Amino acid sequence: MSTRTPTAPRPAPVGPRDGRRGRPGSVTRPPLWATVVKWVALALVVLLGAYLVQRTISAGYAFGVVLVAFVVLAVLAVYSTRRAVAMKYLLPGLLLLLALQIWPIVYTVATAFTNYGDGHSISKQEATDSIVASSVQEVAGTPRYRMSVAVQQGADPVTGGLSLLLTGPDGATFVGTPKGLADLPADGVTKTSTGKITAAPGFTVLNARQVNARSKDLSALGVPTAGGGGIKPVGLSEAFVGKTTVVYDAAADTLTDTVTGTVYVPKNAFWTPRTGDGAAYATGWKENVGLKNFSTLLTNDTIRSGFLKIFVWNVVFAVVSVGSTFLLGMLLALLFDDVRLRGRRFYRSIIILPYAIPGFVTALLWRSMYNQDFGLVNSLTHLDVDWLGNPWAAKAAILVTNLWLGFPYMFLVCTGALQSIPGDVREAAKIDGASPARTLRSIIMPLLLVAVGPLLIASFAFNFNNFGLIFLLTKGGPFESTDTSIGSSDLLITYAFRLAFSGVNPNYGLASTVSIFIFVIVAIMSYSGFRRTKNLEEVN
Amino acid sequence: MHRRAYAAMVAGSGAVALIVSGCGGSTPTTASTGAAPATTSATAPAPAAAATSAAPVRDANVDLVIWSDADRAPALTKFATAFGQENGIKVAVQIAPDTRQQFKDATKVGQGPDVLVGAHDWLGELVQNATVAPINLAPDVVAKLQPNAVAATKFNGQTYGVPYAIENIALMRNTALAPTAPTSMDQLITEGTKIKAASGGKVTNVLIQQVGKTGNAYYTYPYFTAYGGGIFGTKANGDYDPTKLLVDSAASLKGAAELAKLGKAKILTTNIGDDNAEALFDAGKAPFFITGPWAQTNAKKAGIKYAVSNLPTLPGGGQMQPFLGVQMFYVSAKAKNAALAQEFVTNYVTRDDVQTALFKATGRPPALKSAYDAAAAADPMVKAFFEAGKAAKPMPNIPAMNSVWGPLGQASADIVSGQDPATRLKAASAEIAANIAKG
Repeated sequence: MSTRTPTAPRPAPVGPRDGRRGRPGSVTRPPLWATVVKWVALALVVLLGAYLVQRTISAGYAFGVVLVAFVVLAVLAVYSTRRAVAMKYLLPGLLLLLALQIWPIVYTVATAFTNYGDGHSISKQEATDSIVASSVQEVAGTPRYRMSVAVQQGADPVTGGLSLLLTGPDGATFVGTPKGLADLPADGVTKTSTGKITAAPGFTVLNARQVNARSKDLSALGVPTAGGGGIKPVGLSEAFVGKTTVVYDAAADTLTDTVTGTVYVPKNAFWTPRTGDGAAYATGWKENVGLKNFSTLLTNDTIRSGFLKIFVWNVVFAVVSVGSTFLLGMLLALLFDDVRLRGRRFYRSIIILPYAIPGFVTALLWRSMYNQDFGLVNSLTHLDVDWLGNPWAAKAAILVTNLWLGFPYMFLVCTGALQSIPGDVREAAKIDGASPARTLRSIIMPLLLVAVGPLLIASFAFNFNNFGLIFLLTKGGPFESTDTSIGSSDLLITYAFRLAFSGVNPNYGLASTVSIFIFVIVAIMSYSGFRRTKNLEEVN
Repeated sequence: MHRRAYAAMVAGSGAVALIVSGCGGSTPTTASTGAAPATTSATAPAPAAAATSAAPVRDANVDLVIWSDADRAPALTKFATAFGQENGIKVAVQIAPDTRQQFKDATKVGQGPDVLVGAHDWLGELVQNATVAPINLAPDVVAKLQPNAVAATKFNGQTYGVPYAIENIALMRNTALAPTAPTSMDQLITEGTKIKAASGGKVTNVLIQQVGKTGNAYYTYPYFTAYGGGIFGTKANGDYDPTKLLVDSAASLKGAAELAKLGKAKILTTNIGDDNAEALFDAGKAPFFITGPWAQTNAKKAGIKYAVSNLPTLPGGGQMQPFLGVQMFYVSAKAKNAALAQEFVTNYVTRDDVQTALFKATGRPPALKSAYDAAAAADPMVKAFFEAGKAAKPMPNIPAMNSVWGPLGQASADIVSGQDPATRLKAASAEIAANIAKG
């Protein structure tokens, strides 16, 4: 800034001039405790990194390991040496920027190119495995067995091959292994009253915790029986004869239902009957769909017309909200800026009250006040307006509520800005013979607008995405009859939310695409807004 | 002079702006830290609310992790601990406020529970995402459970859960206002109107039923069933068939016409929704209330003397049949302790004492026949709710049901508020079909 006072001549540095170059003995060393703290902190970072790497390995994310290693190395490189002084200050901010801003954007954009959503949340392999695993059916007319899990005597319970010690309904005992079913001689076998074998010669029976530790092996275990089925364990003490009814053919990439003979082929990320009739399996998979979500948004008639409608209302909502709250807030601020008014402090605190109550509570309160039959608004005004059921009334209700919620903030901002306008400016205007109105128009307002302009833009961006208010007050409704996914008071953000989370077919991919559009729109609007305030500053 | 004043003003107001705005921009300043809430000019998300609805963190030190909502957790904890002692293991019951979504999210990243407690209509969605595993119940255990509860645990011919409670809506009445139970809707309206007229303004509504501005298909479904209508037809194996929509069938249209009639007579209104229905009944403002067993807690608290009876019959039709909801235990497909989880749900949850304790905690009729019989003998209201849902079909648990709630709910709200029932239902049916096709 041009009016800054010239800087005083720099005082001569204290201590040896070449101290930074590190001649032994002449360096001003930091105190011992600082060094200790620094190295302990660095060790903690490394430990934390090691822990996180463990977690990412067990979760199976190779890229996560690389990322954690990179961050830890960066921290070490920056803070353990005397180099990169500027980086010492920048690194935390840089890391947070990457983690909290860049990564979500990258992730959102990546999601926008997939069909990720309900029914499409896992890989094709997982989906196929799940369908095959879920197809096991109990073979009709087969017995249920009482079961104990055991290993051969002397084998390790953690790794040894598992055997199922089975008791049939008639009390006969068997040993089941992946090789097949064999008789277990009754000699030396002890059973509980229900028939579960607790000890058998040549076997070590596992306890509940040991069995549980082998859950994965157990679920993969099937004792083959005649007819292609297998004896499969249920829990800790029971087994049944089951048969897989769906087979995956890796070579042809098809699923076959052996009961009905239907062949399923992959189509639209679902296993669909090849012939086209019949239902697909419910479990689908996530796959890349390219620009499909973008083209859906731009070409689907319902969505496009709905999107445009929402967009127009969204802009109107944000502009009117900012305008109305600012006007009311500013007028009140001007009023209470007048020194002749007594008890200004008291009034000011009263006005700020709506701001002090959490918006969530207020919005729900207003919602009940707008009830046509039981609400306060209609009973006070003796009207019979269906506030939340009529599209126009709902929009009015939203704007009124947001005015109530938002004006105290504008009042605060304007009060602050007004108080910072120096008295001599007003005095000069008075001396020059300007009327109070003229002073307001030509002196106070421009100065005020320069100060609060950026805040108005911030407020605009906030209201553009004012999810909470809409969601709590109208949930986006009232809804048009042709498409209930688009409400007449929806903002783009509530629309995106419904698409992603509460809608008919939760679709994160499409919602990501909508949020990219929102981001671009808000960015363009804010940019032009800031350009404008810059012009305003230059005018002065 | 002018320039200096201006500069001072800019500096001053800039500082104010920074403090007040909490520095929404990119320059980190110390002034910004003190005034974080001010970045939002209207409603900022309340962090406290977020904290209380957060998903639980899976307890890594136990052998079996169960997630449930807050209502059932205390009763469950007692029995889960007993199960742990019997098997020499540690069991933890954790509360997940938004169980359905949180289970899906946590399971996706390998942090989900082994066992999940939830409603049967989640099943299709959970299978869609491959998050639950099939459960093989022994035939003799299945025989001990209510057949319609068992039917609700099946999806695509496979069983995925063990039921412990059933719930459905019925007609609740304020016995101080209406001593006898009406059996038909006409009777209900006649009696209710008389009560309303005689109350001198204290009674404002004849019947309370949740509709709301967006409608509620759960409560309007019985109007369709009274004439034999519904939502989905069924396949040969008894599963619901998403390609056979009954929403705009002749029978459903008759039910819609009845809804329109009730709306016109101001018996039903979109101004009564989930936010005020219970409060109105509990304040004695209406003699009749169509609701489920969950409304009993607050009615008792409010000191309302009530009784429960079957839903009424509709003129020219039969008995209104509600949806049957079944509460059940699921085993996660990604369970870290699959063997224990299977053991718990197949051999423990099906025990009489466990089902009875869960009944005491939630007030819903148990799914185990023996536990139900004891509960019904002790509490006539349990029996009344159960009887009202005895012939009811389980709510569809196929994923396509997600395509129904919004359009059908909205259609019923619009019909109640005066739109033509036939056109409105046809539009809803078309929308549902389109959504299912998109899915």
